[in-house]
Amino acid sequence: MDNEDILVVMQRDLERALQKPDKDRRWAMLIDLRKCVGCHACTVGCVSENKLPPGMYYRPVHEYEQGEYPKVSRTFLPRPCMQCDKPPCVAACPVKGKGGATWKETRGLGAGIVMIDYGQCIGCGACVPACPYDARTMDEGRFHGEGTPAVQKYLSKASFEYGKKWERSGSNQPIGNARKCHFCVHRLAAGQLPVCITTCIGRSGYFGDLNDPQSLIAQVKKANKVQTLKPAKGTAPRVYYVANEKLEVLYGK
Amino acid sequence: MANKNTHTVSRRDFLKTSALAGCGAVVATHFDFARDLIARVEAGELTQAEAYELLKAENTLYSVCLNCNTGCGIKVKILDGVAVKIDGNPYNPFNLHPHLEMKTAPGEAVKLDAGLCPKGQAGHQGAYDPYRVTRVLKRAGRRGENKWISIPFAQAIDEIVDGGILFAQVPGEATRQVTGLKELYALTDAKAFEEMGKDVAALRKKKSEERAAAVSEFKTKHAASLAALIDPEHPDFGPKNNQFVYFWGRKKGGRSNFAAAFTGSFGTANTHGHTTVCQGSLYFACKAMSEQYVGNSFKDGQKFYWQADQENSEYILFVGANLFDGNYGPTNRAMRMTQRMADGKLTMTVLDPRCTKLAAKAQRWVPVLPGTDAAFAMGMTRWILENKKYDAKFLACCNKAEATAIKELTWSNGPWLVKLDKEGKPGKFLRAQEVGLKAAEKRTDKDGKEFDFEYLVAIREGQPVAFDPNDDKEAVVGELFVDTVLKDADGKEIKVKSSLQLMLETAKEKTLAEYATLCGTDAATIEAVAREFTSFGKKACVDVHRGPAQHTNGFYNIASFMNLNLLIGNFDWKGGMIAASTFNIDGTSSSTDKQPFNFKKIGPKGLKTFGTSIIRHDVKYEESTLFAGKESYPAKRNWWPISSDVYEEILPSIADGYPYQAKVAFSYMGAPTYSLPAGHTQIAALLDLDKLPLYIASDIVIGPTSMYADYIIPDLHFLERWEFQGSHPNMPVRIQPVRQPVIASPNEVVTVFGEEQPISYETFWLALAEKFGFKGFGKNGFGEGQDFTRPDDFYLRMVANIALDRKESVADASQEEIDLFLQSRRHLPKNVFDAERWQKIAGPAWPKVVTVLNRGGRFDSQEVTYKGEQAANKYGKQINLYQEKTAGCKDAFTGKSYYGLARYVPVADTLGVEPTKLAEGYPLHLITQRDVRHTKARTITMPYLTDLMPENGIILHTSDAKKLGVKTGDQVKVVSATNTEGVWDLGNGNKKAMIGKVQVTETIRPGVVTFTLGHGHWDSGAVDVTIDGKTVKGDKNRAGGVHANAAMWVDPHLKNTCMIDKVGGSVSFYDTRIKLIKV
Repeated sequence: MDNEDILVVMQRDLERALQKPDKDRRWAMLIDLRKCVGCHACTVGCVSENKLPPGMYYRPVHEYEQGEYPKVSRTFLPRPCMQCDKPPCVAACPVKGKGGATWKETRGLGAGIVMIDYGQCIGCGACVPACPYDARTMDEGRFHGEGTPAVQKYLSKASFEYGKKWERSGSNQPIGNARKCHFCVHRLAAGQLPVCITTCIGRSGYFGDLNDPQSLIAQVKKANKVQTLKPAKGTAPRVYYVANEKLEVLYGK
Repeated sequence: MANKNTHTVSRRDFLKTSALAGCGAVVATHFDFARDLIARVEAGELTQAEAYELLKAENTLYSVCLNCNTGCGIKVKILDGVAVKIDGNPYNPFNLHPHLEMKTAPGEAVKLDAGLCPKGQAGHQGAYDPYRVTRVLKRAGRRGENKWISIPFAQAIDEIVDGGILFAQVPGEATRQVTGLKELYALTDAKAFEEMGKDVAALRKKKSEERAAAVSEFKTKHAASLAALIDPEHPDFGPKNNQFVYFWGRKKGGRSNFAAAFTGSFGTANTHGHTTVCQGSLYFACKAMSEQYVGNSFKDGQKFYWQADQENSEYILFVGANLFDGNYGPTNRAMRMTQRMADGKLTMTVLDPRCTKLAAKAQRWVPVLPGTDAAFAMGMTRWILENKKYDAKFLACCNKAEATAIKELTWSNGPWLVKLDKEGKPGKFLRAQEVGLKAAEKRTDKDGKEFDFEYLVAIREGQPVAFDPNDDKEAVVGELFVDTVLKDADGKEIKVKSSLQLMLETAKEKTLAEYATLCGTDAATIEAVAREFTSFGKKACVDVHRGPAQHTNGFYNIASFMNLNLLIGNFDWKGGMIAASTFNIDGTSSSTDKQPFNFKKIGPKGLKTFGTSIIRHDVKYEESTLFAGKESYPAKRNWWPISSDVYEEILPSIADGYPYQAKVAFSYMGAPTYSLPAGHTQIAALLDLDKLPLYIASDIVIGPTSMYADYIIPDLHFLERWEFQGSHPNMPVRIQPVRQPVIASPNEVVTVFGEEQPISYETFWLALAEKFGFKGFGKNGFGEGQDFTRPDDFYLRMVANIALDRKESVADASQEEIDLFLQSRRHLPKNVFDAERWQKIAGPAWPKVVTVLNRGGRFDSQEVTYKGEQAANKYGKQINLYQEKTAGCKDAFTGKSYYGLARYVPVADTLGVEPTKLAEGYPLHLITQRDVRHTKARTITMPYLTDLMPENGIILHTSDAKKLGVKTGDQVKVVSATNTEGVWDLGNGNKKAMIGKVQVTETIRPGVVTFTLGHGHWDSGAVDVTIDGKTVKGDKNRAGGVHANAAMWVDPHLKNTCMIDKVGGSVSFYDTRIKLIKV
């Protein structure tokens, strides 16, 4: 493994995982903050991949500094959707039941991911404050480059979220909807890792099937003490962190 | 409903996509979005458009980023001809480590997206910027007034070449005659160039008192050509052709060669890059270290530098280098380090006034005072020498033979003997014949040319020994520390010391405690770092960058740190200091004779340009006709015998008319007004119509400098064009990334040499060459049946050279790959991509050209990058600890010789005065920094980046904020002794205040203030402009933040330029003292 980029290793892990029955698979993400260099590549990669409007970030990177000069430390904390096993956002959504607007997927490729059906979402925004991680944002229909003489060509080209083509114009979905990170499920379906993982220049991000003990993510999780964000909220996140710092001090309990 | 499914694809088509994606059977779910795609195809629900089109090889093109100069590989994903997404190129070692082998088929590689920084991912936003200039713009108001008309390309070429009354409609210019290029193409005869050039060189060798007679002799001999000279009384200024000054910002291989083809034919010596705004003193200190002893003097130094082989180093002392924000660059260096950092296999110390992202990961952060770096280095030097922690075996090598014997690839001049003058000042190395040890010889070089060779001297076992440093047969070791007296043939005493002895004595000028006080740390820290640095064998490095380089003492700061690397002999070792290596583009590779296109032979034959350049580089003041003896000091401006590409000199020298008047300037992808310290002085120079009568800029937008041009020639965005990125010293793999057109350009299509092409930088040169009728351009330019009428004529031949460089060329592309090549370029117009034309240009090399272009360049395998414990792509030569050539040059202001050895030198102005007066009343020390999300002048046009970082701030320590009574978010104005108003004077009465928002932090040394570069724009769409009488509204998002370069000190003697490093050329970025005024 020393002779391979971890992106290649995780790509192989992913292909192996995709061969498995959905019930045997557990998608998870792990971020090693010791390796995060605070570059925001994941943030912008995600914006570009999912055609996110201004002000909307599925995966911001929070920056913290602690201590007093000269004994200071800096921490960079990328924050995707935690894909909670007990998601408070789902509970907050009024469009419930089969065919609801948002739910924790249990079957298929996206099993384990908290999904939004833009077609069912009524845009009430109730889920947004329910998320303790601020992972949900309402799409207000804005465009990058507003205030310039023309909308840039690529902005009107489709994004591929959830395996569909979303052409951004007028009041097309997902304009008016709540939006959030979905582990790039459209890329998973195509056999590719989430873009925040592939674009990470510090290789701090891990993604894969935790149920596969051979997978890199499972090995890294096992070899290190991991933390989750706001464990006291009881959300059971699917995103794990390796860090020298106590994250509840930085991010809250 | 936008998302209704209307078309279906066959199961067979889908399976093809699926196989490419490598995803097998996927289980269905109730949710249609994420349901099994195969099932959906079977159900007839899936449209072709719904498959993940960004994964298709035929929608993917590989090229090279240019949102910063790292030039990482990019994988551009294209939908309907539009670049929609950019990722990292997995074939390129800047993005994946180890990268994919060239033999990996593109169809297989397409699955892998590799790493890329946020700027790279926003690359296409620059291409689709609505503020792009797509037609030639001609000034319709005063310079910088932002009033333009668009004109036909051909008209622009005519006006630029012919000159005349070009701006009659502009107030005050009704009768202003402008000299065109035609008038400057005064000397045209190649033989005249050669002979006059030779005689000017001879003239320079005369003593100043003999020069007047020599000039009159010159005038008699060249009477027929005198009218073509700028000034016959000063033949060393060269021909009028030199009054055409071409300068550039970011330019890489290929485009450099293209311009040189024209400027060589035109015959101007004035072609200047921008190196000194970046880290010139790093380049030129390393050039001085790499000067080789050839015959009897030092020459052939490389303008380059070394960096750490960070993927194998166990200890790195980073000085003013923040690789996680900049520094060639975050993408390639971070991925090579982070795991080893986390595992404790790489220990780091960072010297920087800021706790940078890198420092935040280091074991030790030493917040040194800006500009005192050499004090730290010299303290370390002293400790290492006194405690004998150096690699004595390496340092004892006098020559190649001994280096080879002990398995070293490099050797220093540590034991060589240096002669001292009466005052004990070191000068030249002792030559063996001077002490009757061994006579000088006549030798012949490989071309059969005779040259003088003189042996050098070291002390071996107490006795002087003569040696040839490049001899690979007779190994010579020398004693390290020598201080003795030898006798010449007449018995006269010659005082000598070894280079290392001089180094020791220089280091001992101060105690560790004194050094520590100077740089704001303590002796224990210096000692601890020195001990650590010498505890990892050859797997330790000092890796330096802008921080120590961009001061008035930059050259010696850099040399002092680089010398530490020499003390442990880490060059060319795995985990030590390495140099960049590339595949050759111009067909002159020495490793093969298979390259098909030798541009030295097929390209336009340039004239042998001569004469002092407008920036006076590569020449000594004392050898010029302006020097009449000691009374000529101080010179009006500096002379640069060991540096070049001195960016800050170009426009102010033109404004001073020193040493002569320029008539036409052309700039390419340069923004000196924005990028240079005291950039407002550059604006002032551009506003002067008398001193700079015609200024043309190549740009993609109306930029911070091009807005002052008379004409803007639209260029292609980097996604629309060619270039060869080369490499950087931290990259151990031999590479040549190829930038190639991946999308069509919005620029007007024009006809040059009968060929349709979008207006570009190349089109401009070609059109000028066509108008002048230069040989080597146009039909049959490269020989019978080999036209040079388009950019691709030039660059495809270079790609063929890359493909066939080295012993083994790249493999031929299979038919399948060639089909993919054509298919993936289906969206490019014929005036950019024409398969038939391209194949004809490449000739038999075509299938190899396809292999290279399908991968975005040529990249050697990681497997062949090291040979055992050493770098396979070695530097492999002698490295100077003592610099004889430097010691042989004089300061043009004081007349004193430069010191030949690294030492601590305080920050000072050009006259050598320490700036205490300028600092009075200005308590804060201003520095700058990069943020990984922005690059100086060119990322403000990218909404992904500006949305994420809409503005920068004035960053200062909590204690300083408290003193000022400000908190985060408060607004402050930046003022200094040379900009008491705290404004950018943009000309025409337009001023922009340097006001920014405070950001309070504990992560900076108290007393130091910084801001990130890239904001505070007044250009590039940030303000309204008028084109053809219509207002193009600016976007206020582009004006966010503050740019405080105009607060940086103006040199008190130069008066129209920032402070400079007189030796290494760097501008002073980090020496200014400021105060902040709450707004």
